[in-house]
Amino acid sequence: MTTTETVANSAGAVRHPGRVIRRVHPVMGTMVSFDVRVSDAERSTALVALARACARLDRADAVFSTWRPNSPMSLLRRNMISLAEAPAVIAVVLELCAVARDLSGGWFDPWAMPGGVDPTGLVKGWAADQALRELRAAGVRAAMVSAGGDLATFGGPEPGLAWRIGVRDPWAIDRIACVVESPGAVATSGCYERGLHVVDPQTGLADARCVSATVVGPELWLADALATGLLVAGEVGLAHIEALEGYEAYVISERGEAATTGSFPVAE
Amino acid sequence: MRRAPIVLAATAAGLAAVLGFHTQKLRTSVLSGLSGVGTTPTSLPSGGGGTTTTTPGSSTTTPGSSSTTPSTSASTGTHTALGADVQYQYGELELKVTVTGGKITNVQPAIDNAFDPRSAQVNAYAEPQLESQTLQAQSANINGVSGATYTSQAYVQSLQAALDKLGIK
Repeated sequence: MTTTETVANSAGAVRHPGRVIRRVHPVMGTMVSFDVRVSDAERSTALVALARACARLDRADAVFSTWRPNSPMSLLRRNMISLAEAPAVIAVVLELCAVARDLSGGWFDPWAMPGGVDPTGLVKGWAADQALRELRAAGVRAAMVSAGGDLATFGGPEPGLAWRIGVRDPWAIDRIACVVESPGAVATSGCYERGLHVVDPQTGLADARCVSATVVGPELWLADALATGLLVAGEVGLAHIEALEGYEAYVISERGEAATTGSFPVAE
Repeated sequence: MRRAPIVLAATAAGLAAVLGFHTQKLRTSVLSGLSGVGTTPTSLPSGGGGTTTTTPGSSTTTPGSSSTTPSTSASTGTHTALGADVQYQYGELELKVTVTGGKITNVQPAIDNAFDPRSAQVNAYAEPQLESQTLQAQSANINGVSGATYTSQAYVQSLQAALDKLGIK
């Protein structure tokens, strides 16, 4: 078994270097939590990488926040700056948005949002991917980041084991609807935390045809965007995910019925 | 399918790992003598070909067979231990964990100083849930929770917060 931060009591026992590092970082209006697995020797390197990962999240928030009136994204939405004048990373993310829009069959569409193009449904996942990349680049063995309920992972909690992620029951905060083994990203969209916040690209109105939509796959930016679109689409949206290699999905209807794509990785 | 055993000793250690919280200082992290019992979550759709539809009848997890992991000390009897004194964004929380027969049976705040009335309110609501969530996470043997994006305020009430604070793995 892996011992982590072992026994350090008030009597002054020796504190062994940990192998699990946890960190919670408030950003983007939510909490981003990290679970990082390292050997004793890698610990200080990982702590530095973790600081860089948090800085990346902060930068993404500063650039993309639609809540900050003076963020470059907000200025772009109000046509106060052009795309050419905006930080180059915005064009990169909008490119990803266009890819996600096509792959979702149009159910995820940042250009259909009221008030101008809004990449929010993809940015959080993208930023979490970037944050995790810092840890991977530093040689960390395994890590998991949860960006307010959307998770990106690599490695596993123990050698040979996959990260096990519970998908929340939409009707009860302390219940799990199912458990999946993460293939790299697990994203869930639902209206039970922040109300009906998704827009149907076909009508321009707030709408959702299921109460919870989960997409798993190798990368969180795409899983996050697809889950947002799937929440709007409901069960009919599963066909678009089915067509994507490496991505699987799971929706729960208002009647409490669950539907999945063919190979959704439900854990034992 | 391989399953990670639940290791309460690691859980206990995870309390110390909560150190990772931003501005907090850890004063003590005394937890030992815990051993683990893992359980099997009820799974939902097992996925065949094409799109399958099932009903999440038992949408929670049920205790099942157990896999016990060797620990540094006995797994029988009742132990109570104070966990990390955690300074987190909304206040200070020290958890008292009771272990009976190698299984967490009770989690209670021993120190609970919220920094402001709003936090006190949140804590009063969150703490009864913290216990059930912890027990739930233990039985589900999970590393994290995926769900609709919660706000910073909702975080303290979320299962993810319980996982992060208690280091359930």
